[in-house]
Amino acid sequence: MKLTATKEFKALLEPLVKNNPVFIQSLGICSALAVTVQLKTAVVMGLAMTLVVAFSNLIISTIRNVMPRNIRMIVELIVIASLVILADELLKAFLYDISKQLSVFVGLIITNCIVMGRAETFALGNPPWISFLDGLGSGAGYSVVLIAVAFIRELLGSGSLFGFQMVPEAFYRAGYQDMGIMLLAPAAFIIIGLLVWLQKSLVNE
Amino acid sequence: MSDTLKSIWFAALTALISSLLLTGASLGLKEYRLKNIKIDNQKNLLKSVGLIRPEGQYASVEIEKLYRENIRTYRADKSGRITPQKEPGSQGLPLFLYVQKETVRAYILPVYSRGLWGRIEGYLALENDGATVSGFTVFSHGETPGLGGEIGTRWFQENFRGKKIIDPRGKFAPIAIAKGRVTDRIPQGRQANFVDGISGATLTGRFLSEGLRDTLMAYEKVSANFRAGRIKLTTGEKSSP
Repeated sequence: MKLTATKEFKALLEPLVKNNPVFIQSLGICSALAVTVQLKTAVVMGLAMTLVVAFSNLIISTIRNVMPRNIRMIVELIVIASLVILADELLKAFLYDISKQLSVFVGLIITNCIVMGRAETFALGNPPWISFLDGLGSGAGYSVVLIAVAFIRELLGSGSLFGFQMVPEAFYRAGYQDMGIMLLAPAAFIIIGLLVWLQKSLVNE
Repeated sequence: MSDTLKSIWFAALTALISSLLLTGASLGLKEYRLKNIKIDNQKNLLKSVGLIRPEGQYASVEIEKLYRENIRTYRADKSGRITPQKEPGSQGLPLFLYVQKETVRAYILPVYSRGLWGRIEGYLALENDGATVSGFTVFSHGETPGLGGEIGTRWFQENFRGKKIIDPRGKFAPIAIAKGRVTDRIPQGRQANFVDGISGATLTGRFLSEGLRDTLMAYEKVSANFRAGRIKLTTGEKSSP
Protein backbone atom coordinates (compact mmCIF):
# COMPACT_ATOMS: atom_id res chain seq x y z
CA MET A 1 0.00 0.00 0.00
CA LYS A 2 1.30 3.44 -0.84
CA LEU A 3 2.06 5.73 2.09
CA THR A 4 -0.34 8.36 0.83
CA ALA A 5 -3.22 5.90 0.87
CA THR A 6 -2.93 4.86 4.53
CA LYS A 7 -5.54 5.80 7.06
CA GLU A 8 -2.95 7.54 9.21
CA PHE A 9 -1.86 9.76 6.36
CA LYS A 10 -5.42 10.68 5.60
CA ALA A 11 -6.14 11.53 9.23
CA LEU A 12 -3.14 13.82 9.31
CA LEU A 13 -3.56 15.53 5.97
CA GLU A 14 -7.27 15.82 5.42
CA PRO A 15 -7.82 18.62 7.98
CA LEU A 16 -4.83 20.48 6.59
CA VAL A 17 -6.29 21.23 3.18
CA LYS A 18 -9.49 19.49 2.15
CA ASN A 19 -11.30 19.73 5.46
CA ASN A 20 -9.50 22.68 7.00
CA PRO A 21 -11.10 23.53 10.35
CA VAL A 22 -11.11 27.27 9.75
CA PHE A 23 -12.04 27.31 6.06
CA ILE A 24 -14.52 24.45 5.76
CA GLN A 25 -15.78 23.92 9.28
CA SER A 26 -15.62 27.66 10.10
CA LEU A 27 -14.25 26.92 13.56
CA GLY A 28 -11.79 28.98 15.57
CA ILE A 29 -12.39 32.19 13.65
CA CYS A 30 -12.46 34.34 16.77
CA SER A 31 -8.89 33.72 17.83
CA ALA A 32 -7.78 33.76 14.19
CA LEU A 33 -8.79 37.42 14.17
CA ALA A 34 -7.14 38.32 17.41
CA VAL A 35 -3.63 36.91 17.31
CA THR A 36 -2.75 37.49 13.67
CA VAL A 37 -1.44 41.05 13.83
CA GLN A 38 2.07 39.66 14.16
CA LEU A 39 3.64 36.46 12.83
CA LYS A 40 5.40 35.67 16.11
CA THR A 41 2.23 35.46 18.15
CA ALA A 42 0.45 33.55 15.39
CA VAL A 43 3.16 30.89 15.30
CA VAL A 44 3.21 30.42 19.07
CA MET A 45 -0.58 30.35 19.22
CA GLY A 46 -0.65 27.76 16.41
CA LEU A 47 1.86 25.58 18.24
CA ALA A 48 -0.01 25.77 21.54
CA MET A 49 -3.26 24.98 19.78
CA THR A 50 -1.79 22.02 17.86
CA LEU A 51 -0.39 20.47 21.02
CA VAL A 52 -3.68 20.91 22.87
CA VAL A 53 -5.82 19.35 20.10
CA ALA A 54 -3.41 16.47 19.53
CA PHE A 55 -3.15 15.52 23.20
CA SER A 56 -6.81 16.07 23.98
CA ASN A 57 -7.66 13.75 21.06
CA LEU A 58 -5.13 11.22 22.32
CA ILE A 59 -6.37 11.23 25.91
CA ILE A 60 -10.06 11.26 25.06
CA SER A 61 -9.66 8.47 22.55
CA THR A 62 -7.75 6.40 25.13
CA ILE A 63 -10.48 6.69 27.74
CA ARG A 64 -13.39 6.61 25.27
CA ASN A 65 -14.43 3.05 26.15
CA VAL A 66 -14.41 3.43 29.93
CA MET A 67 -15.90 6.92 29.95
CA PRO A 68 -19.58 6.96 30.99
CA ARG A 69 -21.61 8.41 28.10
CA ASN A 70 -23.73 10.71 30.23
CA ILE A 71 -20.84 12.79 31.55
CA ARG A 72 -18.72 12.56 28.43
CA MET A 73 -18.77 16.30 27.65
CA ILE A 74 -17.77 17.24 31.18
CA VAL A 75 -14.85 14.84 31.13
CA GLU A 76 -13.79 16.16 27.72
CA LEU A 77 -13.86 19.70 29.07
CA ILE A 78 -11.75 18.77 32.09
CA VAL A 79 -9.15 17.19 29.82
CA ILE A 80 -9.09 20.15 27.43
CA ALA A 81 -9.05 22.78 30.17
CA SER A 82 -6.19 21.04 31.97
CA LEU A 83 -4.12 20.89 28.79
CA VAL A 84 -4.76 24.56 28.05
CA ILE A 85 -3.77 25.65 31.55
CA LEU A 86 -0.63 23.55 31.20
CA ALA A 87 0.21 25.23 27.87
CA ASP A 88 -0.37 28.64 29.44
CA GLU A 89 1.90 27.83 32.39
CA LEU A 90 4.65 26.64 30.06
CA LEU A 91 4.43 29.82 27.99
CA LYS A 92 4.56 31.97 31.12
CA ALA A 93 7.65 30.12 32.29
CA PHE A 94 9.63 30.01 29.08
CA LEU A 95 8.22 32.55 26.59
CA TYR A 96 7.06 35.27 28.95
CA ASP A 97 7.04 38.17 26.50
CA ILE A 98 4.98 36.31 23.93
CA SER A 99 2.63 34.98 26.56
CA LYS A 100 2.01 38.57 27.61
CA GLN A 101 1.11 39.51 24.06
CA LEU A 102 -1.19 36.53 23.62
CA SER A 103 -2.84 37.49 26.93
CA VAL A 104 -6.28 35.92 27.20
CA PHE A 105 -6.17 34.04 23.93
CA VAL A 106 -4.19 31.09 25.19
CA GLY A 107 -6.80 30.58 27.87
CA LEU A 108 -9.48 30.89 25.24
CA ILE A 109 -8.18 27.79 23.44
CA ILE A 110 -10.55 26.02 25.82
CA THR A 111 -13.49 27.57 24.02
CA ASN A 112 -12.01 27.03 20.58
CA CYS A 113 -14.55 24.81 18.89
CA ILE A 114 -11.87 22.92 16.98
CA VAL A 115 -10.73 21.14 20.14
CA MET A 116 -14.17 20.09 21.33
CA GLY A 117 -15.26 19.44 17.75
CA ARG A 118 -12.44 17.01 17.01
CA ALA A 119 -12.92 15.29 20.36
CA GLU A 120 -16.62 14.74 19.71
CA THR A 121 -16.52 13.85 16.03
CA PHE A 122 -13.23 12.00 15.77
CA ALA A 123 -11.61 10.92 19.02
CA LEU A 124 -14.75 9.28 20.41
CA GLY A 125 -14.94 6.89 17.46
CA ASN A 126 -11.32 6.17 16.60
CA PRO A 127 -8.30 4.53 18.25
CA PRO A 128 -5.73 6.74 20.04
CA TRP A 129 -2.92 6.86 17.47
CA ILE A 130 -5.16 7.91 14.58
CA SER A 131 -6.91 10.43 16.83
CA PHE A 132 -3.57 11.90 17.79
CA LEU A 133 -2.68 12.33 14.12
CA ASP A 134 -6.05 13.86 13.38
CA GLY A 135 -5.41 16.34 16.21
CA LEU A 136 -1.99 17.20 14.81
CA GLY A 137 -3.53 17.70 11.37
CA SER A 138 -6.35 19.88 12.66
CA GLY A 139 -3.97 21.97 14.73
CA ALA A 140 -1.65 22.34 11.76
CA GLY A 141 -4.58 23.30 9.54
CA TYR A 142 -5.50 26.00 12.02
CA SER A 143 -1.88 27.15 12.31
CA VAL A 144 -1.46 27.38 8.55
CA VAL A 145 -4.41 29.74 8.31
CA LEU A 146 -3.17 31.79 11.27
CA ILE A 147 0.30 32.09 9.79
CA ALA A 148 -0.99 32.98 6.32
CA VAL A 149 -3.25 35.70 7.71
CA ALA A 150 -0.52 37.01 10.04
CA PHE A 151 1.98 37.07 7.17
CA ILE A 152 -0.27 39.33 5.11
CA ARG A 153 -1.31 41.50 8.06
CA GLU A 154 2.17 42.07 9.44
CA LEU A 155 3.69 42.73 6.02
CA LEU A 156 1.06 45.21 4.89
CA GLY A 157 0.17 46.62 8.30
CA SER A 158 3.59 47.09 9.88
CA GLY A 159 5.94 46.56 6.94
CA SER A 160 7.77 43.80 8.79
CA LEU A 161 7.91 40.00 9.19
CA PHE A 162 8.68 38.42 12.59
CA GLY A 163 9.45 41.97 13.73
CA PHE A 164 12.16 42.51 11.10
CA GLN A 165 11.67 45.47 8.80
CA MET A 166 10.83 44.24 5.30
CA VAL A 167 9.67 47.36 3.49
CA PRO A 168 12.80 49.42 2.75
CA GLU A 169 13.12 52.95 4.18
CA ALA A 170 13.26 54.37 0.66
CA PHE A 171 9.65 53.27 0.09
CA TYR A 172 8.48 55.29 3.08
CA ARG A 173 10.44 58.30 1.92
CA ALA A 174 8.82 57.94 -1.51
CA GLY A 175 5.41 58.22 0.15
CA TYR A 176 4.51 54.60 0.92
CA GLN A 177 2.40 54.12 4.03
CA ASP A 178 1.54 51.03 6.08
CA MET A 179 -2.10 50.04 5.82
CA GLY A 180 -3.61 50.87 9.19
CA ILE A 181 -6.68 48.72 8.60
CA MET A 182 -4.50 45.60 8.52
CA LEU A 183 -3.89 46.05 12.26
CA LEU A 184 -7.62 46.01 13.01
CA ALA A 185 -9.90 43.00 13.21
CA PRO A 186 -11.90 43.70 10.01
CA ALA A 187 -8.77 43.13 7.93
CA ALA A 188 -8.52 39.59 9.27
CA PHE A 189 -12.13 38.97 8.23
CA ILE A 190 -11.42 40.20 4.71
CA ILE A 191 -8.25 38.12 4.40
CA ILE A 192 -9.90 34.97 5.73
CA GLY A 193 -12.74 35.52 3.28
CA LEU A 194 -10.33 35.82 0.39
CA LEU A 195 -8.42 32.75 1.54
CA VAL A 196 -11.62 30.69 1.77
CA TRP A 197 -12.40 31.72 -1.79
CA LEU A 198 -8.90 30.76 -2.92
CA GLN A 199 -9.03 27.41 -1.11
CA LYS A 200 -12.46 26.54 -2.52
CA SER A 201 -11.49 27.33 -6.08
CA LEU A 202 -8.25 25.35 -5.75
CA VAL A 203 -9.81 22.24 -4.19
CA ASN A 204 -12.72 22.13 -6.62
CA GLU A 205 -10.42 22.14 -9.64
CA MET B 1 -22.52 -0.60 40.56
CA SER B 2 -25.24 1.62 39.21
CA ASP B 3 -24.56 3.89 36.24
CA THR B 4 -24.96 7.04 38.29
CA LEU B 5 -22.47 5.90 40.87
CA LYS B 6 -20.03 4.93 38.16
CA SER B 7 -20.35 8.39 36.59
CA ILE B 8 -19.72 10.11 39.89
CA TRP B 9 -16.65 8.00 40.56
CA PHE B 10 -15.32 8.61 37.09
CA ALA B 11 -15.84 12.37 37.32
CA ALA B 12 -14.22 12.53 40.74
CA LEU B 13 -11.24 10.53 39.54
CA THR B 14 -10.74 12.68 36.44
CA ALA B 15 -10.95 15.85 38.49
CA LEU B 16 -8.50 14.49 41.05
CA ILE B 17 -5.92 13.40 38.48
CA SER B 18 -6.06 16.63 36.48
CA SER B 19 -5.91 18.83 39.56
CA LEU B 20 -2.87 16.92 40.85
CA LEU B 21 -1.17 17.30 37.48
CA LEU B 22 -1.88 21.02 37.29
CA THR B 23 -0.80 21.68 40.84
CA GLY B 24 2.44 19.87 40.11
CA ALA B 25 3.04 21.86 36.94
CA SER B 26 2.21 25.15 38.61
CA LEU B 27 4.51 24.50 41.56
CA GLY B 28 7.29 23.20 39.35
CA LEU B 29 7.22 26.24 37.09
CA LYS B 30 6.56 28.81 39.80
CA GLU B 31 10.17 29.84 40.15
CA TYR B 32 10.56 30.56 36.44
CA ARG B 33 7.30 32.46 36.38
CA LEU B 34 8.11 34.67 39.35
CA LYS B 35 11.57 35.39 38.01
CA ASN B 36 10.08 36.38 34.64
CA ILE B 37 7.65 38.73 36.31
CA LYS B 38 10.40 40.32 38.42
CA ILE B 39 12.68 40.84 35.41
CA ASP B 40 9.79 42.19 33.37
CA ASN B 41 9.00 44.64 36.13
CA GLN B 42 12.59 45.85 36.33
CA LYS B 43 12.75 46.06 32.55
CA ASN B 44 9.73 48.35 32.55
CA LEU B 45 11.24 50.59 35.21
CA LEU B 46 14.48 50.87 33.26
CA LYS B 47 12.60 51.47 30.04
CA SER B 48 10.60 54.32 31.57
CA VAL B 49 13.75 56.32 32.30
CA GLY B 50 15.35 55.43 28.98
CA LEU B 51 18.10 53.19 30.37
CA ILE B 52 17.20 50.43 27.92
CA ARG B 53 15.81 50.68 24.42
CA PRO B 54 12.19 49.54 24.03
CA GLU B 55 12.81 46.95 21.33
CA GLY B 56 16.25 45.85 22.48
CA GLN B 57 17.03 42.32 23.58
CA TYR B 58 18.59 42.10 27.02
CA ALA B 59 19.74 39.14 29.06
CA SER B 60 18.18 38.97 32.50
CA VAL B 61 21.58 39.43 34.20
CA GLU B 62 22.06 42.70 32.33
CA ILE B 63 18.65 43.92 33.44
CA GLU B 64 19.37 43.00 37.04
CA LYS B 65 22.74 44.73 36.95
CA LEU B 66 21.38 47.95 35.45
CA TYR B 67 18.56 47.92 37.96
CA ARG B 68 20.88 47.39 40.91
CA GLU B 69 23.19 50.19 39.82
CA ASN B 70 20.66 52.85 38.94
CA ILE B 71 17.32 52.37 40.61
CA ARG B 72 16.50 52.86 44.29
CA THR B 73 13.30 52.32 46.16
CA TYR B 74 11.95 55.18 48.25
CA ARG B 75 8.78 56.21 49.99
CA ALA B 76 7.12 59.60 50.04
CA ASP B 77 5.25 60.87 53.10
CA LYS B 78 2.31 63.30 53.14
CA SER B 79 4.48 66.41 52.89
CA GLY B 80 6.32 65.01 49.88
CA ARG B 81 9.48 64.19 51.81
CA ILE B 82 11.18 61.02 50.56
CA THR B 83 13.12 58.47 52.55
CA PRO B 84 14.77 55.21 51.47
CA GLN B 85 12.45 52.29 51.89
CA LYS B 86 15.09 50.39 53.85
CA GLU B 87 15.20 52.96 56.62
CA PRO B 88 13.11 52.18 59.67
CA GLY B 89 10.06 54.44 59.93
CA SER B 90 9.96 55.00 56.19
CA GLN B 91 6.35 54.98 55.13
CA GLY B 92 3.92 56.39 52.61
CA LEU B 93 3.64 56.05 48.86
CA PRO B 94 6.28 53.97 47.10
CA LEU B 95 8.36 55.51 44.35
CA PHE B 96 11.59 54.74 42.55
CA LEU B 97 14.51 57.02 41.96
CA TYR B 98 16.91 56.88 39.06
CA VAL B 99 20.16 57.95 40.68
CA GLN B 100 23.45 58.55 38.94
CA LYS B 101 26.51 59.87 40.78
CA GLU B 102 24.35 60.62 43.82
CA THR B 103 22.09 62.96 41.84
CA VAL B 104 18.49 62.11 41.18
CA ARG B 105 18.00 62.08 37.42
CA ALA B 106 14.37 61.04 37.45
CA TYR B 107 11.68 59.66 39.72
CA ILE B 108 9.28 56.90 38.78
CA LEU B 109 5.71 56.56 39.99
CA PRO B 110 3.87 53.26 39.90
CA VAL B 111 0.55 53.74 38.08
CA TYR B 112 -2.46 51.60 38.93
CA SER B 113 -5.37 52.50 36.74
CA ARG B 114 -8.77 51.12 36.01
CA GLY B 115 -9.01 49.77 32.47
CA LEU B 116 -11.94 48.69 30.36
CA TRP B 117 -11.51 45.01 31.24
CA GLY B 118 -9.25 45.08 34.25
CA ARG B 119 -6.44 46.83 36.02
CA ILE B 120 -3.73 48.61 34.07
CA GLU B 121 -0.37 48.65 35.81
CA GLY B 122 2.56 50.69 34.65
CA TYR B 123 5.25 53.22 35.48
CA LEU B 124 5.37 56.93 34.80
CA ALA B 125 8.84 58.42 34.99
CA LEU B 126 9.32 62.15 35.52
CA GLU B 127 12.55 64.09 35.16
CA ASN B 128 14.14 65.81 38.14
CA ASP B 129 12.59 69.14 37.14
CA GLY B 130 9.34 67.73 38.48
CA ALA B 131 7.48 68.67 35.33
CA THR B 132 8.67 66.74 32.28
CA VAL B 133 7.67 63.15 31.53
CA SER B 134 10.70 61.02 30.82
CA GLY B 135 8.77 57.90 29.90
CA PHE B 136 5.72 55.73 30.42
CA THR B 137 5.46 51.95 30.34
CA VAL B 138 2.66 49.47 30.88
CA PHE B 139 3.59 46.05 32.16
CA SER B 140 0.24 44.49 32.81
CA HIS B 141 -3.17 45.10 31.34
CA GLY B 142 -6.19 43.17 30.10
CA GLU B 143 -7.34 45.47 27.30
CA THR B 144 -8.56 44.21 23.93
CA PRO B 145 -5.60 43.31 21.73
CA GLY B 146 -5.42 45.64 18.73
CA LEU B 147 -7.65 48.26 20.36
CA GLY B 148 -7.12 49.21 24.01
CA GLY B 149 -4.23 46.76 24.04
CA GLU B 150 -2.29 49.30 22.02
CA ILE B 151 -1.41 50.97 25.34
CA GLY B 152 1.23 48.25 25.59
CA THR B 153 2.86 49.24 22.33
CA ARG B 154 5.91 51.33 21.68
CA TRP B 155 4.29 54.14 19.67
CA PHE B 156 1.74 54.85 22.37
CA GLN B 157 4.29 54.85 25.16
CA GLU B 158 6.82 56.99 23.27
CA ASN B 159 4.03 59.47 22.87
CA PHE B 160 4.55 60.45 26.51
CA ARG B 161 8.18 61.45 26.39
CA GLY B 162 8.72 65.18 26.85
CA LYS B 163 5.12 65.93 27.83
CA LYS B 164 4.46 68.16 30.85
CA ILE B 165 2.51 67.76 34.06
CA ILE B 166 2.22 71.51 34.54
CA ASP B 167 0.63 74.17 32.35
CA PRO B 168 2.63 77.10 30.91
CA ARG B 169 1.95 79.13 34.07
CA GLY B 170 3.49 76.40 36.22
CA LYS B 171 0.26 75.07 37.69
CA PHE B 172 -0.44 71.36 38.09
CA ALA B 173 -2.05 69.92 34.93
CA PRO B 174 -2.16 66.12 34.77
CA ILE B 175 -1.28 64.40 31.55
CA ALA B 176 -4.24 62.99 29.64
CA ILE B 177 -4.99 60.94 26.57
CA ALA B 178 -6.60 62.88 23.74
CA LYS B 179 -9.45 61.52 21.66
CA GLY B 180 -7.49 61.30 18.44
CA ARG B 181 -4.37 63.18 17.47
CA VAL B 182 -3.17 65.89 19.82
CA THR B 183 -2.38 68.28 16.96
CA ASP B 184 -5.95 68.01 15.63
CA ARG B 185 -7.87 67.98 18.88
CA ILE B 186 -6.15 70.09 21.48
CA PRO B 187 -5.65 73.89 21.40
CA GLN B 188 -2.07 75.03 20.93
CA GLY B 189 -1.37 76.11 24.49
CA ARG B 190 -2.42 72.84 26.08
CA GLN B 191 -0.83 70.33 23.72
CA ALA B 192 2.04 69.59 26.11
CA ASN B 193 -0.42 68.00 28.57
CA PHE B 194 -1.93 65.54 26.10
CA VAL B 195 -0.79 62.44 24.24
CA ASP B 196 -2.24 60.92 21.04
CA GLY B 197 -5.18 58.61 21.69
CA ILE B 198 -5.90 55.19 20.25
CA SER B 199 -8.68 54.92 17.69
CA GLY B 200 -11.30 52.42 18.79
CA ALA B 201 -10.25 52.64 22.42
CA THR B 202 -11.94 55.76 23.75
CA LEU B 203 -12.89 54.14 27.06
CA THR B 204 -9.46 52.69 27.74
CA GLY B 205 -8.05 56.16 27.09
CA ARG B 206 -10.53 57.79 29.43
CA PHE B 207 -9.86 55.32 32.26
CA LEU B 208 -6.10 55.59 31.85
CA SER B 209 -6.36 59.40 31.86
CA GLU B 210 -8.22 59.17 35.16
CA GLY B 211 -5.64 56.75 36.55
CA LEU B 212 -2.76 59.01 35.56
CA ARG B 213 -4.52 62.04 37.05
CA ASP B 214 -5.10 60.24 40.36
CA THR B 215 -1.50 59.02 40.49
CA LEU B 216 -0.05 62.43 39.69
CA MET B 217 -2.33 64.08 42.22
CA ALA B 218 -1.27 61.67 44.94
CA TYR B 219 2.39 62.43 44.25
CA GLU B 220 1.94 66.14 43.54
CA LYS B 221 3.71 67.12 46.79
CA VAL B 222 6.78 65.18 45.67
CA SER B 223 6.66 66.76 42.22
CA ALA B 224 6.29 70.22 43.78
CA ASN B 225 9.36 69.54 45.91
CA PHE B 226 11.27 68.51 42.81
CA ARG B 227 10.15 71.66 41.00
CA ALA B 228 11.32 73.79 43.92
CA GLY B 229 14.61 71.90 44.02
CA ARG B 230 13.95 70.74 47.56
CA ILE B 231 14.71 67.07 47.04
CA LYS B 232 17.98 66.02 48.62
CA LEU B 233 19.09 62.43 48.86
CA THR B 234 19.19 61.46 52.50
CA THR B 235 22.34 59.55 53.21
CA GLY B 236 20.53 56.33 53.95
CA GLU B 237 22.32 54.41 51.25
CA LYS B 238 25.49 55.97 49.95
CA SER B 239 26.20 53.85 46.91
CA SER B 240 24.27 50.85 45.78
CA PRO B 241 25.19 47.68 47.65
